[in-house]
Amino acid sequence: MEVLREKVEEEEAAEREEAAERSEKMRPAEVWKEETPMTQEMLRDLEKKLSEMEIPTPADPLTFPKDTIDISMLPQSYKTNSPKEELMLQVADNFSRQYSHLCPDRMPLFLHPLNECEVPKFVSTTIRPTLMPYPDLYNWDSCAQFVSDFLTMVPLPDPLKPPAHLYSSTTVLKCQKGNCFDFSTLLCSMLIGSGYDAYCINGYGSWDLCHMDLTREVCPLTVKPKEKVKKEEKPPPKKYAIKPPRDLTSRFEQEQEAKRQEEIRAHEEKLRREAEERLLEATKMKPDPLHGLRVHSWVLVLSGKREVPETFFIDALSGRSYSPQDDHFLGIESLWNHKNYWVNMQDCWNYCKDLVFDLGDPVRWEYMLLGTDKPYLSLTEEDDDDLNDEDDVEALGKEDEDKSFDMPPSWVQQIEITPEEFETRCPNGKKVLHYQRAQLEKWAPYLNPNGLVCRLTTYEDLEYTKVLEIKEWYQNRGDMLELRHINKSTGLIIDYFKPGHPQALRVHTYKSMEPEMDRVMEFYEVARVDGLIKREETPNTMTEYYQGRPDFLAYRHIIFGPRVKKLPLNSTDSNPRPPVKITERFYRNPEKPADDDVAERVFLTTEERIQLRYHCRSDHITSNKREFLRRTEVDSKGNKIIMTPDMCISFEVEPMEHTKKLLYQYETMMQLKNEEKLSKHQAWESELEVLEILKLLEEEEEAHTLTISIYDTKRNEKSKEYREAMERVMHEEHLRQMEAQLDYLAPFLAQLPPGEKLMRWQAMRLKDECLSDFKQRLIDKANLIQARFEKETQELQKKQQWYQENQVALSPEDEDLYLSYCSQAMFRIRILEQRLNRHKELAPLKYLALEEKLHKDPRLAELLKVFG
Amino acid sequence: MNRMYGSMEPRVMDDDMLKVAVGEQGPREEAGQLAKQEGILFKDVLSLQLDFQNILRIDNLWQFENLRKLQLDNNIIERIEGLENLIHLVWLDLSFNNIEAIEGLDTLVNLEDLSLFNNRISKIDSLDALVKLQVLSLGNNQIGNMMNIIYLRKFKCLRTLSLSGNPIAEAEDYKMFIYAYLPDLVYLDFRRIDEHAKELAEMKHQYSIDELKHRENQMQIRQEEEQARRMKLEEHKMAFVEHLDGSYLFDSMYVEDVEGGKLSYLPGVGELVGAYKDKFVIICLNIFEYGLKQQEKRKAELDTFNECIHEAIQENQEQGRLKIAKFEEEHLMNLNTIREETDLLNIEKKIMECSEDITELFNVLMTLEMQLVEQLEEAINMFERNIIDLVGLFIENVQSLMAQGRDLENHHHEKLLEIAINTLEKTAKGELDEDLPEDVRALFVDKDTIVNAVGASHDIHLLKIDNREDELVTRVNSWCTHLVDKIHRDEVMRNCKRVKEINQYIDHMQSELDNLECGDPID
Repeated sequence: MEVLREKVEEEEAAEREEAAERSEKMRPAEVWKEETPMTQEMLRDLEKKLSEMEIPTPADPLTFPKDTIDISMLPQSYKTNSPKEELMLQVADNFSRQYSHLCPDRMPLFLHPLNECEVPKFVSTTIRPTLMPYPDLYNWDSCAQFVSDFLTMVPLPDPLKPPAHLYSSTTVLKCQKGNCFDFSTLLCSMLIGSGYDAYCINGYGSWDLCHMDLTREVCPLTVKPKEKVKKEEKPPPKKYAIKPPRDLTSRFEQEQEAKRQEEIRAHEEKLRREAEERLLEATKMKPDPLHGLRVHSWVLVLSGKREVPETFFIDALSGRSYSPQDDHFLGIESLWNHKNYWVNMQDCWNYCKDLVFDLGDPVRWEYMLLGTDKPYLSLTEEDDDDLNDEDDVEALGKEDEDKSFDMPPSWVQQIEITPEEFETRCPNGKKVLHYQRAQLEKWAPYLNPNGLVCRLTTYEDLEYTKVLEIKEWYQNRGDMLELRHINKSTGLIIDYFKPGHPQALRVHTYKSMEPEMDRVMEFYEVARVDGLIKREETPNTMTEYYQGRPDFLAYRHIIFGPRVKKLPLNSTDSNPRPPVKITERFYRNPEKPADDDVAERVFLTTEERIQLRYHCRSDHITSNKREFLRRTEVDSKGNKIIMTPDMCISFEVEPMEHTKKLLYQYETMMQLKNEEKLSKHQAWESELEVLEILKLLEEEEEAHTLTISIYDTKRNEKSKEYREAMERVMHEEHLRQMEAQLDYLAPFLAQLPPGEKLMRWQAMRLKDECLSDFKQRLIDKANLIQARFEKETQELQKKQQWYQENQVALSPEDEDLYLSYCSQAMFRIRILEQRLNRHKELAPLKYLALEEKLHKDPRLAELLKVFG
Repeated sequence: MNRMYGSMEPRVMDDDMLKVAVGEQGPREEAGQLAKQEGILFKDVLSLQLDFQNILRIDNLWQFENLRKLQLDNNIIERIEGLENLIHLVWLDLSFNNIEAIEGLDTLVNLEDLSLFNNRISKIDSLDALVKLQVLSLGNNQIGNMMNIIYLRKFKCLRTLSLSGNPIAEAEDYKMFIYAYLPDLVYLDFRRIDEHAKELAEMKHQYSIDELKHRENQMQIRQEEEQARRMKLEEHKMAFVEHLDGSYLFDSMYVEDVEGGKLSYLPGVGELVGAYKDKFVIICLNIFEYGLKQQEKRKAELDTFNECIHEAIQENQEQGRLKIAKFEEEHLMNLNTIREETDLLNIEKKIMECSEDITELFNVLMTLEMQLVEQLEEAINMFERNIIDLVGLFIENVQSLMAQGRDLENHHHEKLLEIAINTLEKTAKGELDEDLPEDVRALFVDKDTIVNAVGASHDIHLLKIDNREDELVTRVNSWCTHLVDKIHRDEVMRNCKRVKEINQYIDHMQSELDNLECGDPID
C-alpha cells in the first residue's frame, strides 16, 4: 500500500510539474483559455509584477519623430485609399470581426496599421516585391545581411502589442531605422522580388530576439569551419603483401596503458564539461517575466522556390537564419505576403517546433482571401486531383460572394537603393555589433583612411574587458593588405595580403617591425622569380624555402654571426652580418645520377669547411658524403699546397674511381668556393629584401593610399577629370557643328539653282549681295539705336518741361520720383549713346571682316581670287 | 687536294704522341700541377686535338672511352678506322686528309658534328648509325651524283651541310635541288637558306618530292606493319601458343606427309580432310585463346608480386634511412662534444659510447634486413607455389586439348583407312571409275602397302602434334624455372648488396671514430 501511495504521489507531482511547465511557456493561441483556473491571487500577483516592471516607453510613442517625415512630398497613393483598397479594408474588418467572435481569447489581428500619413493600409499591400539591381542582393543571406546592416533597430513602442503604425519601406529606407515589422516588411519585399516564397510573420519572440541582443550568440566570424576528417581508405592488402614482423609486446600491458589513457581522457572530458556548464550558467540570463508575450516580427521562407530545400526563419533584425525548431521563436499569430493573409490556428504550446507550414491546409491556417494561386494542401497525388476538383467547385460557388477578390496592388512606391547607399550600407557607414565575447565593427569602404572595413575583437570574458585577439579586415589597400590578425596574448601579428603586393608577400607574421627579429614571411611563389615560398627569421638565423627553381634549391638556412665593427669611414654602407653557417638543401635533379646529385651542402665559413651530402639512390639506404677542409696553404718547405688527400674526406656507397683523383676533388672544391660566395651574396640580398619589404610596409602604413578601381566612376578622380574633359570636348564639338550648320551664305545660295557650279559673275553677285545685305543690317541697327536714343531724349525733355511747369505744386514725393526718373533716363541715354558710338566704330570693321571671310570662303575663294 | 707526301715521314699514333698531346691540352695552373703529379688517364680525357701531325693511320685510341671531341684534321689519313670504342664522341673532325670512303663510323651513335672537308670521298653512305647528326661538312670532295642528297633525307636533325667544291656543286640545279629535298636544312655552304628560295625550290621539285614522300610513307607503313606483326608474334610466343591461331599446325602436319597428299586424291577423302581440318583448327584456336588468357593471368600474378616486393623493399629502405638519419644527427653532436672535450678520460668514455652507438646502429640495420629477408622469402615461396600451380594447370589443360586433337586424328585415321580399303577392294574388282594419278595408283597394289601408307601418314600427324605439345610444355616449364631462379637470385643479390652497404657504412663510421681517436692526442 505504501508503495502504491508513493506512486500516486509521484504521478501527482509529475502532473503538477507538467502544469507548471505549461503555464510557464506561453501559448499565444490558447494562453488565456488555458489559464482560466488562475486564482485571483495569482492574477493580483501578476498585476503587481507587471506594474513593477518598467517598460521602456520612449517619449515619443512613434518610432520616428513626426517632423522627420515630410508627408507633403509623398505621392497620392500614400495619402488616400483607392476604392479597391477601401474594399479590402472592409473585407479585413469583416474578417477581423468574425475572428474575434470565433476566437475571443486571442489577440486582435494585425491587419491594417496606419501608415506615415495616418491612413490605414492593409499589411499585404505594404509589401512591395522588388528585385534589386545588385547581384549581391540576389540571395537571401546577403539580402538579410543588407537589411540588418542598413537599418538601425528601434524597439517597439509597446513590447506586448504590434505597432499602431507600419510605414512604407521607402520611408523606412530614407530614415534608415525601423522596428522589427519594418525590417521584415522590407526584407520580405526584397526576397519575394528575387523569387523566394517569403512571408512576414507576426508572432512572439524571446527577449534576445526582440532586442537584437546577440551577446549570447557566438559570432559567426569566430566559428571555425569544421575540418573534414578525411578517412584514408586503406587499400585491401595485396596478395603478396608481406606480413608484418611479429609483435612481441605484451598485450596485457597495452590494455592497461589504454585503460589509463581512457581514464585520463574521461577526467579531462569531465573537467571540460563542468567548465562548459559553468560558462553556460554564467551566460544564461535571468528568466524574462514577459517571456512569450513579446511581440516580434520575422520572415518565413518556405521551401520549394529558388531551390530552398527546407523551410526556415530569418530574423530581419540580425540577418541570421534559424530553423523553425529554434527556441527563440515562441509563437505565431499570423503571417502574410503580398497576396494573402493567414492566421495560425495551431497550438503553439511547444513554440514553433510542431507547426506545420502547409498554408493550404485550412484547418491549420485560416486564410483571408481565396486567392487563385494559394498554396494547395500538400497531399498525395491522387487525393490532390480529387481535392482540386472539389476545390474548383467550391471556388466556383464562392466566386459569387465577395471573397473572389484579390489583393489590391501595393500602395508603396518602388523600393530604390542608390549605389552610394548600397555601398555605405550601415547608417553613416558604421555599425557595431556585440556578440558573446566578441565585438564586431563594420565600416563602409573608403570611410576609414586606412581602408579598414571590419574589425572583430574577441574578448576573454563576457564583460568585454580583456582583449584576446583582434581581426581587422581591409579593402582597397594599396599594399593589398586584406586581413590583420592581432593576438594580444602572444603579441603576434599576422598580416594577410592579396595577390599583387610588389614583393608577392602573402602572409607576414611578426611581433615588431624591427628588422632581425622573429618573423615569418610567406610569399606567392609563382609570382616570384626566385620561387621563394617562405622566409623565417629569428634574431640570428634566417630560413628560406623555395619551390620550382631550375637549380632545385629547396631550403636555405643561414646562421649569422655577430656584426663586425666597421670603421666609420664607410659607415654609409649597410653593415651586413657575416653568415657563419649556410645550409642549403636541394631537390633531386632527375637528370643526374643520385649519387652525383647533391642533397645538402653546408658551408661553415669560419672553419673553411664544406660538407656535402648527396641524394640516396633508390636501392640504397646510405648516401655519399664528402667534406672539404681548406687548412694551411703552405707546407713545411714554404711551398704552396694546392690539394692534399686529407683535405677531402669522402664516403662513397659505391666507390668510384674518378672521384679519388685529387684533380677532381680540387675542381669540385673550387666550384664550391665560388658557390659559397654566391650563397653569401644571396644571404645578403635576402637581408636587404627583408629591409626593403619592411620599409615598404611601414611607408604604406603611414601613407594609407587606397586604390580606386578604374570602374569606380564616383571616386576615381583621374577618370572623372578625363570624363569631364571628354564631355567638354564633346560639347564644344557640338557647338561648332551647330555653328557650321548656320551658313551665312545659305539664303543667297538658295536663290541659285542647286547642284550647279558657281560662275564667276554669280560669285561676284553673291558677294555683293551678301555685303550689301550686311551693310543694310548694320545701318538698320544703327537707325534702331538712334531712334531709341531720340525717343529717350524726347521723353526726358517732355518730363523736364512738365517739371518746370508744375515745379511749385509738386509734393516732395513727386519730386523725388521725378529726380529718380531723371537719373535713370540719363543713364539709359548715356548707354544708348555709348552703344551707338561703339556701333559706329565697329560697323566698318565688321564689314571688312565679312568681306575678308567671303574672300576666304571655300565656295567663293577660287572665283574671287582670280578676280582679285 | 694534292698535298706533298714525304715532306715529312708519316708518323704513327703511339703512346708517347698521345701522352704529349694529352699533357699539352690538359688543365692549366694549379690544377695542371695536380694533373702532372697524378698523371691523366686516357679514359678521363674529354677532348683531344691531333692536327698537323702527319698521321697516316688512326690507332691506339681505344683507351679514350669518354672522348667527346676529336680533331684529326690536316693529316694524311687514308681510312677511317680505330674509332669503334669512342662511342661518346660528339664532334669528329677529319678534314684535310686523304680519305676515300666513309666507313668505320657505325658505333658513333652520339656524333653530332662530322667534318670530312677536303678529302677524296665520292659517295655519301655508311652514315646510317649517326642519327643525331646535325652538322655535316663534305666540301672539297669528289661527290658527283645528285642522288647522294636523297640519302641525307633520313637524318632528321641535320641542319647544316656543306658540299661546295664537289662536282655536283657545279650543277645548275644544285642549290634548288638541295633546298627541295632537304627541307629541314638551315645552312647550306655556310649561308643561311632563304625562305623564299626554299619555297621556290619546293614548287619546282614538287612532283618528284611528292612521289618520293609517297614512297617513303609506304615504306614506313610497311615497316610499321612488320613491326606490329613481330610484336604480336612475340606476344604469342610469350604465351607459348604462337601459330596456333589458324591452320598452321594442321598444314605443317601435311607438309612432310607424302602419303597423306596422295591419299587425298581418293574419293571422299577431300571432304573428310576438310571436315577434319575444321575441327582441328577449332581445337587449335581453343588452345590459343586459353594460352593467351593464362598468359594474362600469369602476368597479373607476376605484376602483383613485383609490386608487393617493391613496396616492401621501399618501406624497409625508408625505415633504414630514417634510422641512419637519426643516428647521424646524434653522432654528429657526439663528435662535436668529443672535439671540444679536453679531459682524456671523458674523451675515452665518449668514444666508447659512440662506438657502442655504431654497433647499435649496425644491429638495428641488420635486424631490419634480416626481417625483410624473411618476409620476402615467405612471399617469394608463396609466389613460386602459385606460379607453378598456374603453369601446371595450363599444361594439363593444353594436354587435354591436345588429346582431343589426337582423338580427332585417330578418328580421321580410321575413316581414311576404311576409305582406303574400300578403294582397294574397288580397285581389285576394277570398279574404280575415277582416274587417279599413277603414284597414287601405285599404293593400291596390295593391302599392306595401302595400310602402311595410311599408317605412315597417321604417324607423321601424331608426331607433329606430339612435337608441338612437347615444345609448349618444355618452354613453359623452362620459363617458369627461369623466372623462379631469377627471383631467388635477385633477392640474394639484393641481400648481399645491402649487407655490404651496411658493413661499409659501419666501417666508415668506425674508422672515422678511430681517426678521431688517433688524431686527438697529437693535437
